[in-house]
Amino acid sequence: MWSWGSVIGETRAADIRSLAACPLRTYQHQDCGRMTFLEKYKDEIADILSRYPVMRSALIPLLYVAQRDQGYVTESAMQEIAQLLRLTPPQVYETITFYTMFNLKPVGKFHIQVCKSLMCALVGSDTVIEWIKVKLGIASGESTADGLFSLSVVECLAACGTGPMMQINEDYYEQLTEGKLDRILADLRSTGTSPLKSGPFMWPEPAPSERGA
Amino acid sequence: MPETTSQMVRITIDGMTVHVPKGTLVIEAARRVGVMIPHFCYHPKLKPDANCRMCLVEIEKVPKLQTACSTPADEGMNIRTATTVVDDAHKSVLEFILANHPLDCPVCDQGGKCDLQDFSHQYTATSRFVETKRIFQKEYFSPLIETQMNRCVQCLRCVRYCDEVMDVKALAPVGRGTMTEIKHFGSHPLDCEFCGGCVQICPVGAITSRLSMYEYRPWMLKRAETICGYCGDGCQITVQTKGQELIEVNSAHGAGRNNGDLCARGFFGFHAASDPQRLTHPLIRRDGRLMQATWEEALEYVAGRVGEIKAAYGGQSVGGLISGRCTNEELYLFQKFLRIAVGTNHIDSSARYGHVNGLQAMRLVQGTHRWTVTFDDILDADVLILVGTNITETNPITGLKVKEAVKKRRATLITIESLEPVVDTMSNIANLSHHHFRIPTSDTHHAIVGLVKAVLEQKLTQPDLAQRHPTYFNAMTSALQQISWQELQAATGIEPEAYVRAAKAAAGARRVVIVAGQLLLRSEQGYSGCLTLLDLLLLTGKLDEPGCGFAPLAEENNDQGAVEMGTVTEFLPGAQPITSGTERERIAKQWKSELPTDKGASLIEMLEQARAGSLKAMFIVGENPVGSLPAAIHAEASLRNLDLLVCQELFLTETAALAHVVLPAASSLEKHGTFTNTEGHVQAVRPSIEPVGESRPDWEIFSALSILLNSPMEYAESKEILKEIRSLIPGYSSLGPTPLPPKVDRSAVDRYLTDGYQHDLATRYHPISRVSRPDGTVRLELTQSLFHSGKLSTRSKGLLQVEGSGRLRISPSDAARFALSEGDRVRLSSTSGEMTTEVKIMERVPQGTAWFPYHFGQAAVQLFECAIDPITHVPSFRTATVSMMKVA
Amino acid sequence: MPKHELILLKNMMQPGYTGSLTDYEKTGGYQALRNTLGKIAPADVTTIVRKSGLRGRGGAGFPTGVKWGFLPKDYQGPRYLCCNADESEPGTFKDRQLMERDPHQVLEGIVLACYAIGSETAYIYIRGEMVLGSKILEQAIGEARVAGYIGKNILGTGINVDVWVHRGAGAYICGEETALLESLEGKRGLPRIKPPFPATHGLYNKPTVVNNVETLANLPHIITRGPEWFAAIGSPPKSTGTRVFCVSGHVKRPGNYEVPMGMTVRELVYEYAGGMRSDKPMKAFIPGGASAPFLTPAHLDVKLDFEHVAAAGSMLGSGGVTVMEEGTSMVWAALRLMEFFYHESCGKCSPCREGSSWLVQTMRRILAKRGRMEDLETLLDLCKNIAGRTVCAFGDAEVAPIQSTLKHWRQEYVDLINEAEAANLIRPEPVGKP
Ligand SMILES: Cc1cc2nc3c(=O)[nH]c(=O)nc-3n(C[C@H](O)[C@H](O)[C@H](O)COP(=O)(O)O)c2cc1C
Ligand code: SF4
Ligand code: FES
Repeated sequence: MWSWGSVIGETRAADIRSLAACPLRTYQHQDCGRMTFLEKYKDEIADILSRYPVMRSALIPLLYVAQRDQGYVTESAMQEIAQLLRLTPPQVYETITFYTMFNLKPVGKFHIQVCKSLMCALVGSDTVIEWIKVKLGIASGESTADGLFSLSVVECLAACGTGPMMQINEDYYEQLTEGKLDRILADLRSTGTSPLKSGPFMWPEPAPSERGA
Repeated sequence: MPETTSQMVRITIDGMTVHVPKGTLVIEAARRVGVMIPHFCYHPKLKPDANCRMCLVEIEKVPKLQTACSTPADEGMNIRTATTVVDDAHKSVLEFILANHPLDCPVCDQGGKCDLQDFSHQYTATSRFVETKRIFQKEYFSPLIETQMNRCVQCLRCVRYCDEVMDVKALAPVGRGTMTEIKHFGSHPLDCEFCGGCVQICPVGAITSRLSMYEYRPWMLKRAETICGYCGDGCQITVQTKGQELIEVNSAHGAGRNNGDLCARGFFGFHAASDPQRLTHPLIRRDGRLMQATWEEALEYVAGRVGEIKAAYGGQSVGGLISGRCTNEELYLFQKFLRIAVGTNHIDSSARYGHVNGLQAMRLVQGTHRWTVTFDDILDADVLILVGTNITETNPITGLKVKEAVKKRRATLITIESLEPVVDTMSNIANLSHHHFRIPTSDTHHAIVGLVKAVLEQKLTQPDLAQRHPTYFNAMTSALQQISWQELQAATGIEPEAYVRAAKAAAGARRVVIVAGQLLLRSEQGYSGCLTLLDLLLLTGKLDEPGCGFAPLAEENNDQGAVEMGTVTEFLPGAQPITSGTERERIAKQWKSELPTDKGASLIEMLEQARAGSLKAMFIVGENPVGSLPAAIHAEASLRNLDLLVCQELFLTETAALAHVVLPAASSLEKHGTFTNTEGHVQAVRPSIEPVGESRPDWEIFSALSILLNSPMEYAESKEILKEIRSLIPGYSSLGPTPLPPKVDRSAVDRYLTDGYQHDLATRYHPISRVSRPDGTVRLELTQSLFHSGKLSTRSKGLLQVEGSGRLRISPSDAARFALSEGDRVRLSSTSGEMTTEVKIMERVPQGTAWFPYHFGQAAVQLFECAIDPITHVPSFRTATVSMMKVA
Repeated sequence: MPKHELILLKNMMQPGYTGSLTDYEKTGGYQALRNTLGKIAPADVTTIVRKSGLRGRGGAGFPTGVKWGFLPKDYQGPRYLCCNADESEPGTFKDRQLMERDPHQVLEGIVLACYAIGSETAYIYIRGEMVLGSKILEQAIGEARVAGYIGKNILGTGINVDVWVHRGAGAYICGEETALLESLEGKRGLPRIKPPFPATHGLYNKPTVVNNVETLANLPHIITRGPEWFAAIGSPPKSTGTRVFCVSGHVKRPGNYEVPMGMTVRELVYEYAGGMRSDKPMKAFIPGGASAPFLTPAHLDVKLDFEHVAAAGSMLGSGGVTVMEEGTSMVWAALRLMEFFYHESCGKCSPCREGSSWLVQTMRRILAKRGRMEDLETLLDLCKNIAGRTVCAFGDAEVAPIQSTLKHWRQEYVDLINEAEAANLIRPEPVGKP
């Protein structure tokens, strides 16, 4: 029942013997001369493709690779990926726009995403957002003039017990206070990373007396 | 789609009992008892998505309301669609949908045919919504299709149609939640097949046609149901007009052989008839110039000249050529006029360009001149073999049947096509193929031979064939032994195992349909290729199995009719050989007149005779040999040599410009008649507007001339001609809603197996010599474009907006090889001529090949040599080796 | 402090436990795998799980062994296991801890489940934002592969199980199992119509099981210590085992607490989570994540198991317990969750798509003191028209905050509207522009 259409017409990963055999030649690239992104990440892409029996499954992982490359997913990357996965560009586009984590436009070097869902809001996330707005002089959806920081207000990031929290690029920062925030921003400005990011998560951390109980 | 089984179940809908196959959707079952369940997202062509939630119904013993569009009927189900609960649910869903829907009905083109309007009226629905409505930024969508996303109800019918039915996937639902809008990709307008399916399937006014924007309200329009004149598929269309103005074309779901689907030509190509350059008056050449004349003058002039020429040189000094775009009635009357009133068998039609190859092959092997299968057999096939079709562009609706068979019904697809299997803006049948033989068109025959060889070697032949027809079997076996796999692999680039796999798939299947397209039919191997394909069916024992058969695709909308009406010189009406004494007698008796006894000349022979001076006069109806034949044929010089050239035309073509008399003809949108589509289905053509200017249907012109020539063939209307056709031609005695395909004639098959095969076995199966192409050259092929068909389409403003000029399609690798980019100009030259054109880079074009759309091909055609098939007299000029050079 | 034995969090509470393979093996890790593969028939593993009474920890609480049993017995061809690590339900943050702190426990569960259902491929669908978690899992998979616990011919038994981490990309709905499958296929995460169920037509249309991280993490323990042991924990017969409750909101010590099911909310909040953070008393709590209706302090003695929470008018859901103190505006709280649902509605079904934007806008108006008394009826009506009318359970979830706050704290809405009236702020509403 209801089975047709879901897999038919999609090429199986096994059909592409090697990445070399796949159509790397693509639509005209705006900036010729730059290595196309598929070629640049050939091995990583081959590894991703090998995980799935149906090629389209590799779409989101490949979009991540593209986003890592440029900070956002360019139109030509979408075309390249479409061609590799034997999809039409609209099929890539419809997928990419469904998810919040893909940027279709450039964002700041540090993309600050503050959770505003109820659980964080109960412990003051709105204030954190205000702090950031004031400290960086930007509103949600904007970037600082130096291109360093962008701010987004997002929904729950699964750190409700340690709110208020934010995510900057790949890292979580939890139990934010104004002082902590200042330090994080300063760290990022100076070193590009901050030791205040959360490690492997556990909360509450067991008190020494409880350990081994 | 949930599979229905043959098992019947009994269900109750609003107290009415109905028996339906298990698995039938409740919404469909309800329709059968006259209960219309409101819906937006459901469409019988599409996989249920149940997203609009409009079709909720109550099912006994199920706690929640269920969507009728996705619930399969099961034994004993008791469904209620009219309770308060259901009614409230429907109202509430409408209220939700109306929340963000703008109330801009006054300026919406869907007004009057909008599902949302209708349901709102039915439920007196209002919305309590007082918040701010969602507003989408308006973006330019495409030259032909307009979107107004504020009106979108997000049923995704457009997107699903584009994907599931068309396999184009040009539309994307972009964003999430209420902010989802239907878009295309990239910073350029929509680029797709422009089938118009999204316009047709949108239940509201979110996607509309630009060609008729703000032009009308539905109740202002007059509708005529007729048949599209652009290709042999024979789609039913509804032409909507306001006075003489053509407003819109659409096609209702369930209607016609196309079941409501159309292609760009059918949906957007209707303006050709109203082109301002239409011929509106007869023209007579006076002092070397064509001057306006009255019908009386023109007809008397023609009749007078024909009379003189006949008297001086005999009827056989006159010939006629007619287009397969004319109606059966016109074709029939044309040959009758020539045979009786003029006294000549020199008759030919556009079917000569390729269709005759397929039909002659079928006649020889299976004794029919029609398919023994129908579109429905394509849908039901287990294995489909497509040979040289480029089906998406040539016969798009047959293409949809193939897509449905493969995608929905899981048929196995074998393709012998020159297409690269790549995804681009148009669907590509090679992408659905399980066994794709990507082979240049000129080598198609080798691949067919490969399949036959694999069948014989793998002993996939019908078990008792060798005993029943040992000579045929042995001859085939030894002929194919002469051809080695090495040669085949060298010629086709495909390893033997691939042939074996495909041959096994075909031989092991129950229902096998072979579809041959114009790339094969119009090629030098057109006739022999078809015979070899029929050999394949014979050897595997499929030829006369139910659901199996051979289906050569007709190019013009009525090429099939042209053959059956006897407008190819070798056939009498009914596609009976002109040499058949009994048939001649039967027809002579009916016509109460003797038939001319000459052998008759085909198109090329006529032109040769004209050049030699033995042919003195020609009637050319809707054909343009000067524009369509390569220089090698010298069509222009031949025609200039005539004492009388009469053209019946819509436009002043290159050929008409040479004529002594030009008679303005009515287009198929302006007349009554019938067309016979590629599968042999005879369908009614009805006028939607009055003939433009003083133009007249072609049959009226023949009839008038016959009177002036003292062999009156008078008919009050075209129906009377049809009556005569019916009494004369067996296949036309009943025009039913579904065609009954003829059966394979066993005695013909036996004749073929006994000795019929012999005469050209050697030419078909012979060792392959490989000619290599010099550097700096490409293989040029004239191909059909999806957006055009013949010359008419190039008069259609809608289609011209999609494809306004002919551009040479080349592959990206050749673009790199010749250092070309999109839009660059190149000069092509061959031994016969040269031309310059722009290039268009297309992924689907194989390396080493360049395609030029023949609708823009006047210049291109001059580059080709012309080979004439010795048996079928088909001139082929579709491939040439040309050198290519970039020019500034 | 735990007054009972920990199961899932036990290892990570050990001093110095890093979650590495060596650490995990030291605590007896992968013994269940060694003792099962090739030694217990797959069908028997399913039986063991069924007997243990383990129910899904992802939200719906469906008995895990029964779900496995729905897979077609005689199906030839691939089957799949998807570990649902999309954890996006506001108030829930347990899977993150289980994966980041003790990844091998999850992996062992995954391989056991694959063995039981005959799957050779498992995908861990982890929410895209949890980059660290995905890295930790990747690393753990690498270790397990080297040690022969994952991959081809596991421990020489001839059994193959490949495990891949697949990151989502920011869409709550992809936690819904069929949306997860769509997303894993590279498409928009829109839930599918059911039937057919994933058990027969799942990933790539093949038989598929989707299980939550916590569900799977329980498996090694159930296998090692037997179903009877597990079935005796918690609130048998229907709610067996422990749950990792995620306590958030206005408590002293928010965090993950693993307790046997059947413990009261009072005990969890006041004894484990340290009680209210200030002297303000509790006003409301959500027992099972954002999708669960709000409850009041009157429900403090409700036992935290599937049946009792349901009887109290809410649901145990994902185990996210959010506590709100006196002074919190319930209209505001409901709106915050409603905004979440509006943001996350995939847009497939008209009632959910249009309803969520309508509800949000109306709630915003009420909170901005521009509400009207008839709005309350409209709200309830809309909720009624969304719930149960959509493809997936999201529709039921999104109306929970409004319905339950209107039920328990209607006066707060009324007060806001009265203030609006008092301030004479009512003016005719503009009709939406086309
Ligand atoms: C809207 C929605 C969101 C869901 N989100 C999650 C989720 O984030 N994590 C999860 O494990 N299950 C989630 N579920 C439940 C899953 O659909 C599914 O029931 C579960 O993964 C099955 O695993 P289990 O049986 O182990 O609980 C969600 C369900 C719905 C309707
Ligand atoms: S544009 Fe029309 S067909 Fe497409 S989703 Fe919107 S309402 Fe449906
Ligand atoms: S028609 Fe059934 S849900 Fe849309």
